[in-house]
Amino acid sequence: MKPAQFDYLRPGSLAEAIEALGANPDSKVLAGGQSLIPMMNMRLARPSALVDIGRIDGLAGISANGSLRVGATTRQAEVLADATVQRRWPLITAALRHVGHPATRARGTFGGSIAHAEPAAELPAAMLALDAAFTVHRPGGTRTVAATDFFLGHYTTVLAEDELLGHVDVPALGGSHWAFAEVARRHGDYALTGVAVRLTPDADGVVTDARVALFAVSSRPVRSAAAERLLVGTRVGDAEAATAAGKVALDDIEVAEDSFVSATYRTEATAAIVRRALLEAATNPKGEN
Amino acid sequence: MTIEDTRPRSARYVGRSVQRVEDPRLLSGQGRYVDDITLPGMLHAAFVRSPHARARILNIDASDALALDGVVAVYTAADLAWLNPMVATGPMRDGILAHSRTPLATDVVRHVGDPVAVVLARSPYLAEDGRDLVDVEYEPLEPVLDPLAALEPDSPLVDEALGTNNISHLEESAGDVERAFAEADHVTRLRFHSGRSTAAPIECRGVVAKYEDRAGGRYTIWASTQMPHLLRMFVAPVLGVPEGRVTISSPDVGGAFGLKCTVFPEDVVIPAVAKLSGRPVKWIEDRWENLAAGVHSKDMICTMEIAAKADGTMTAFRGHFVTDSGAFSSIPFTPLVDSQCAGIYLTSCYDVRDVAYSVDNPLTNKCQIGAVRGVGWVPGQLAREVAIDQLARELGKDPVELRLQNMIGPDVYTTAFGQTYDGGSYAEALEKARDAVDYASFRERQAKAREEGRYIGVGFSPFVEPTGWATASAAAGGLPNGYYDTASVTVEPDGSVTVTTGLHSHGQGHETTLAQVTADELGVPMESVRVVFGDTDSSVFGMGTYASRSAVLGFGSIRESAGQVRDRLLRLAAILLEADPGDVELVDGVAGVKGVPGKTVPLQQIALFGYFGGTARPEDVQRDALTATSGYSPGETYANGCAAAVVEVDVETGLVEVEQLVAVEDCGVQLNPTIVKGQVAGAIANGIGVALLEDLVYEDNGEFVSGSLLHYLYPSTTEVPELDLLTIETPSAVSVGGVKGVGEAGTISAPAAIVNAIADALSPFGVVIDRTPVTPEYLRRKLRDAERTREAS
Ligand SMILES: Cc1cc2nc3c(=O)[nH]c(=O)nc-3n(C[C@H](O)[C@H](O)[C@H](O)COP(=O)(O)OP(=O)(O)OC[C@H]3O[C@@H](n4cnc5c(N)ncnc54)[C@H](O)[C@@H]3O)c2cc1C
Repeated sequence: MKPAQFDYLRPGSLAEAIEALGANPDSKVLAGGQSLIPMMNMRLARPSALVDIGRIDGLAGISANGSLRVGATTRQAEVLADATVQRRWPLITAALRHVGHPATRARGTFGGSIAHAEPAAELPAAMLALDAAFTVHRPGGTRTVAATDFFLGHYTTVLAEDELLGHVDVPALGGSHWAFAEVARRHGDYALTGVAVRLTPDADGVVTDARVALFAVSSRPVRSAAAERLLVGTRVGDAEAATAAGKVALDDIEVAEDSFVSATYRTEATAAIVRRALLEAATNPKGEN
Repeated sequence: MTIEDTRPRSARYVGRSVQRVEDPRLLSGQGRYVDDITLPGMLHAAFVRSPHARARILNIDASDALALDGVVAVYTAADLAWLNPMVATGPMRDGILAHSRTPLATDVVRHVGDPVAVVLARSPYLAEDGRDLVDVEYEPLEPVLDPLAALEPDSPLVDEALGTNNISHLEESAGDVERAFAEADHVTRLRFHSGRSTAAPIECRGVVAKYEDRAGGRYTIWASTQMPHLLRMFVAPVLGVPEGRVTISSPDVGGAFGLKCTVFPEDVVIPAVAKLSGRPVKWIEDRWENLAAGVHSKDMICTMEIAAKADGTMTAFRGHFVTDSGAFSSIPFTPLVDSQCAGIYLTSCYDVRDVAYSVDNPLTNKCQIGAVRGVGWVPGQLAREVAIDQLARELGKDPVELRLQNMIGPDVYTTAFGQTYDGGSYAEALEKARDAVDYASFRERQAKAREEGRYIGVGFSPFVEPTGWATASAAAGGLPNGYYDTASVTVEPDGSVTVTTGLHSHGQGHETTLAQVTADELGVPMESVRVVFGDTDSSVFGMGTYASRSAVLGFGSIRESAGQVRDRLLRLAAILLEADPGDVELVDGVAGVKGVPGKTVPLQQIALFGYFGGTARPEDVQRDALTATSGYSPGETYANGCAAAVVEVDVETGLVEVEQLVAVEDCGVQLNPTIVKGQVAGAIANGIGVALLEDLVYEDNGEFVSGSLLHYLYPSTTEVPELDLLTIETPSAVSVGGVKGVGEAGTISAPAAIVNAIADALSPFGVVIDRTPVTPEYLRRKLRDAERTREAS
């Protein structure tokens, strides 16, 4: 439970951070340390150097004009407590309630949870459901990656070794229905299965656009194409549609299996929570614009 | 907390919720644990451990590790050949094979985590770097993992030297069990697998040792242990020195729960390598080591049969208990601490006279089984109480009524196997629990919930807890041994009081409760009493704290020794007051003459006189001054009570929510009700873990996959509901002060209450719950199977 030897670097600017990452092969960004440090203590990760981005100006903060912008090093606790986020992007607040515990959220960062790409993490799925876009800093500039394109597999994303996640943009989505649900053994544990849903209704309450983002079921957070297709054209809160969407939610998705949870369990429980989330979405107070 | 004084002066502290005197120290971070010990020149140890369940060691190459700057030494079994083997002989009875091991594996590793080599380095970081560089070549062997298959004659052997895997087969019967079953109107049979859990204390184990090469060599060992004197007794012969050359010091201990009343290889290896290296050595166990290579507990395949009459009278019990014992017989308690404890107390609070049990203890390539809170009483309780609910369902009887119908009375009672209960509130506790869950209206609430597709259930689990573990109770439990516990009480020249005891405290609050007892016996303010324990150099001999023994043994040994000192104080005071000793009373540290107000002398003055009063003092005081030491060997004491659980099961996800948990506790006279509540609440939380969460999982190839708290789940505050803690006080008919123990009650009772509540909730589905922990995965499988069976028929 003691990490292997590593160097520690604390750049003062983004440019220095990118340079440090490039100059130190096998180095890693250190944000809140809530996942990286335990992995290092168990020697599951042995980075040559840590590039601590905690003191870089401008990487932390929440701003909401039309859309929401959250800096990568903003603490999860700060986003959870933010009144604007609660009012306009309540799905994020709901997801964050399930991310660890007060102590881990006080240190863990918003961007760290996304960049870490733990398949059972809540925030990545919420980002998929919200059509978020990620701004990535790299040598010589930035690039923007849609949430749907960002996650590749267990702990892997499109980020190259010398890139870092700078901030997250979430469009204004007031007026859409949403819900968040997960099954966890204990409150604050990683989920056995989970879902973030967002439904855009027309004036008659018919779904015109659907997001059903699943987590903890596969090697990465995934949108269920089958469930989303099925829901478009149905009424928000329609019980039959909700049940049907739950049943097909994992069609075409390779469901994960491990020493503790079978794929069969995940499939059954996912059907149940997707249905429940879709029903709950009809009654949850919508986010404001 | 205010201290209301409602009791007569003679019991000023006992029975009251006096604040814990250890808390200010512990809560302000001033506790001093093994890891706080730093010695000049100290090295840090890291163990190289087996990644295999069973393998032959072909070669160990430490050259890369030794080449690393900062690594000082690497030792293997070959370097420790001068040590004597560690032997688990178990209780003083026939029927269990002695099992011996070397502290480091010699040619075969026997479970994941089995220690193979130890690296010493300048820092714990470098020690782990060195550990990673030790190259051990293994030839994997077929592991023995299924305890039942391990009992088959053709099974590979975990330890070939034994010639068998089954280190103990015991059976016992009373009455005429065969006839009772033959004549029964109804027989219910349940096979129940109690899962594998452990203590997982916040502070893992740790050992610091130094060796001084003078006077033939002396070891000083700091260890996070529950039993300093016993540890010394077991470690010294392995090190090959008399006990007088070993000091064991157990400073503050951050939780133990039984795990730390085992003697471990590291307890010997660390002092041995301190000697070899000539430097003090520290080893602090990490969580993986604690989970993989400490002790495991409660993994038992139980078969329970009940014979009953049509009217619900239970006429006979028969149980078979197979403990999946792991690779080594644990020292000193052996796996019988689980299997035998499940068997011999089988009748619990029921008046069943025809009873039989048998136990088997196959070794397997897993971590050893040792004593953890509730020991085998937990699986035994699960098997019996779950079977009784099953019987009630099969007979169409109410489970509470059926239990009450079969229950023993409140008086002293001798069971079929000869344990003599010291009186208890067996039926009353169940009735109290029943009322606390509003049982009368529960069935209606349950029916209504079911109409809404919600499944709630209620379960009960009345229990008897053997406590005050000592010579008499151990014999009654079929694990005979001598137990010796003493307390020494000294009134110092200035009137302050020092108590030393061989008991230990690692959360139980003995610094408080034993001071309460002492203060009452002497008639002094509690603040003047200091309780000293945890060091073989400064404490009188005793066998440590485990098995809910310390309240009984502490009270008994202190009452006797303090009583002797009090008698001397009164006689001294009588001289000073020129009164008859019979007229003198000592209250709050002041002696006075009964009925003569104003004629007093303070304790300080009496004490000073006691030490320096020359020939004016009674002769015995001239010889012994104000110290008295006494032992205590109590009769059998048994606490009792009942847990009741109300749960809701989400049948789609398999999640169980504990809505209400009631714990009725009768531990006789309570020394300190707040501390009793704390013990019960903690044990109940532990019981929730056993029932629903805690599971040490081995894969089919013997790989261990529960090596962190990410996978070994214990309940946090969000999983423990507001508890209803109720008490009844039936003073023990045999112990000094009427006291019984209380440490394990909740862990024994809660799991069966929860499992019964789940089965009750799911009764419309015809699901049999036959294991713990009841995980979502398991429940869904059960429900799925039940659905399939229904569809097929
Ligand atoms: C007890 C406990 C319970 C937890 N429970 C949950 C839970 O239920 N759900 C959940 O989602 N998480 C949970 N977590 C994990 C927690 O949410 C972490 O905070 C989060 O996963 C990582 O964020 P961090 O800021 O701590 O990142 P770090 O641990 O510092 O880094 C994690 C990884 O992301 C990389 N990284 C971090 N920031 C950036 C960046 N800006 N650009 C590029 N790479 C970056 C790091 O290099 C590293 O590889 C739990 C953690 C603990 C200790």
